[in-house]
Amino acid sequence: MNAEALAFYALAAMVVVGGGLVVQSRNLVHAAVSLVPTLLGVAGLYVLLHAEFVTAIQLLIYVGAITVLILFVILLTEGATGLRVPQRNEQVPLALVVSGALVLLLWAVLLRVPWGPPAGTLPPYNPGAVGRSLLMPYVLAFEVTSLVILACLVGAIVIARREE
Amino acid sequence: MIGLSHYLVLSSLLFGLGLYGVLTRRNAVAILMGIELMLNAANVNFVAFTRFVDPTFVRGHVAALIVITLAACEAVVGLALVINAYRHLETVNVDQVDLMKG
Amino acid sequence: MTVDLRPLAPEVVVAAAALLALLADVFTRTSRARAVWWLVALVALGWAAGAVWTAGEGAFGVLYARDGLANALQLVGLAVAAGGMLLARDYLARVGLDRGEYYALVLLSTVGAMLMVASQDLLFLFVALETLSVPLYVLAGFARDSHRSQEASLKYFLLGSFASALLLYGVALVYGATGSTGLARLAGAEGSFPLLVGLGLVVVGLGFKAAVVPFHAWAPDVYEGAPVPAVAFMSVLAKVGAVGALVRLLPLTLPHLLPAWQPLLAALSAATMVVGNLAALRQTNLKRMLAYSSVSHAGYLLVGVAAGNGTGVWSAVYYLAAYAAMNLGAFGVLTFLERAGVEADEVEDLRGLADRSPALAAAFAVFMASLTGLPPTAGFVGKFYLFMAALQGGLLWLAVVGVITSVVSVAYYLRAAYAAYLGPGRAGVRLHPGPWAGVGLGVSAAATLLFGVLPGPLTTWAQRVAALLR
Repeated sequence: MNAEALAFYALAAMVVVGGGLVVQSRNLVHAAVSLVPTLLGVAGLYVLLHAEFVTAIQLLIYVGAITVLILFVILLTEGATGLRVPQRNEQVPLALVVSGALVLLLWAVLLRVPWGPPAGTLPPYNPGAVGRSLLMPYVLAFEVTSLVILACLVGAIVIARREE
Repeated sequence: MIGLSHYLVLSSLLFGLGLYGVLTRRNAVAILMGIELMLNAANVNFVAFTRFVDPTFVRGHVAALIVITLAACEAVVGLALVINAYRHLETVNVDQVDLMKG
Repeated sequence: MTVDLRPLAPEVVVAAAALLALLADVFTRTSRARAVWWLVALVALGWAAGAVWTAGEGAFGVLYARDGLANALQLVGLAVAAGGMLLARDYLARVGLDRGEYYALVLLSTVGAMLMVASQDLLFLFVALETLSVPLYVLAGFARDSHRSQEASLKYFLLGSFASALLLYGVALVYGATGSTGLARLAGAEGSFPLLVGLGLVVVGLGFKAAVVPFHAWAPDVYEGAPVPAVAFMSVLAKVGAVGALVRLLPLTLPHLLPAWQPLLAALSAATMVVGNLAALRQTNLKRMLAYSSVSHAGYLLVGVAAGNGTGVWSAVYYLAAYAAMNLGAFGVLTFLERAGVEADEVEDLRGLADRSPALAAAFAVFMASLTGLPPTAGFVGKFYLFMAALQGGLLWLAVVGVITSVVSVAYYLRAAYAAYLGPGRAGVRLHPGPWAGVGLGVSAAATLLFGVLPGPLTTWAQRVAALLR
């Protein structure tokens, strides 16, 4: 087993165990904290896939911002997220069947394809290539993303501000 | 040698975990966490496909960046809704929504 | 490298109007001044519609193409936005929610729908879908002090984000199968399994947004809780975006995979028509009834997509235009009514409407007749075209299901229309004047009748879209 395989399996274990805790943990604070290893594991996968820039953004925004935001909200709504409140609905068996079936379907479909080795090499300077791609063919998606951000800003203020 | 299928198997598993979380959780914040797992699974696919199928144009990297941005936006709106719902209703559980059918 | 921004001019105008509506609240104190800004935004919508009307074909990079389908559905979207603004103003002023943010969100959402129907790339489709959806989540919860509105908004948000995540995973699979997210590459792709599963997830995601059975359960709860003008707007605009995207993705891009997707779409369509209409029969709450009605109309629209032929494509466009007029109108009537400080949303609340306001009752009857599909209204012509498309596409059974469910729907639509003509009015129900909503309602009623009596011009206009079919 070479170093890459070792790293992959370690990261995969981190992602799966962390993800399992996120959806399974009775204590929501634990679930939210478990997001950190999961998202870090995903960031590690990005390193293995030579996506350095995406890794950096994943660390900054997902691990840094979104997780902290979620933790804050859990603390602010403590009365509803505390340990005494049951956290799961009655759909567990059905949900197990649905998600299990979907995963098996995806495996059956995706493993049947003879995916080859990498079809070429990534551009040597990754952030540059990403930037060019983002500002040339994808410039409209980039611009429209800013509209979504505006809508979110306005929306969050409309919803969460207290009436004077 | 770690190939594309390794990443795809892992991402399907993560997607399934997220789906399971969305379907079984009662708490809105916990459902949101499940959705974040699903988005991450899609991102792993995007980046892995870029490496193995479409390396020259790094489209998957662009996709992942856009998704991370939009996920942050959605989280902001969602958490604002959760806080306001909590202020009004003293609960953030969504039992009334039948997520299975929904 | 020079960039031609002209194909995007309508979207830019609408987005600018959204910013203007936001700024209006900063600079104005009186309601009269606000009305001026609001009118400016409305004029901007008209301007954008004019720009779409005169625009030919065009493209912006590889992500966006303005073609016949985009032009047609963008006009419908702009009309919906204008209707949404007209119907909202009097209502919001009455309940003390008249803020610029409402109109800004309406306009941003409209930009999302406009981009969605012109999207040539699945990743961009996702971004446009978010632009459409996020403002709608907030609009559903705009009545900040109403518990029902808050609950509706939270549910809509969670299910909407869930649907977006499903769609995104589907896009990722399509990317892997074709090496690109662009529709151009997809158009020549073989139907491999990863591609089909990816497409399936994309269809499910869009189905959630359009409230297609079995992904519809959010619709009644959300429509019941959200403020009426917001419901009127979102119920139509989300369908314009989602059905537009489905039409572009399936019949226009993937005609060669028709055997793979047609059974799925036909089954979804039939299930949606049956479940939507049967569930609507049992409702006594008018908003819930209209929610299930809106579900069933998603089914009728899917008949056009499932047919997979040129007739199906243009009749779906025709029906979207008709649906915009009649559904905006049906919810619009509710904006006039109030019961004990809250929205009057029971069927019983309509009693005596004909005595108090004959015009309003007549308009309501027209909308109900059109939603049923009775002549001489736009709904009749639209359904006729859709079922004809199903016959031409070899889906006789789907047309039969459509006709039978339409007959069933007579029961609940006419019960509501009949209630308006039964006196006396229910105690505590008040009728509020609303000049702007009156204008919106008048235009909707006129359009519903006009498209039904003189379907020719709109049909010719919609038929141009079919030229896109390869």
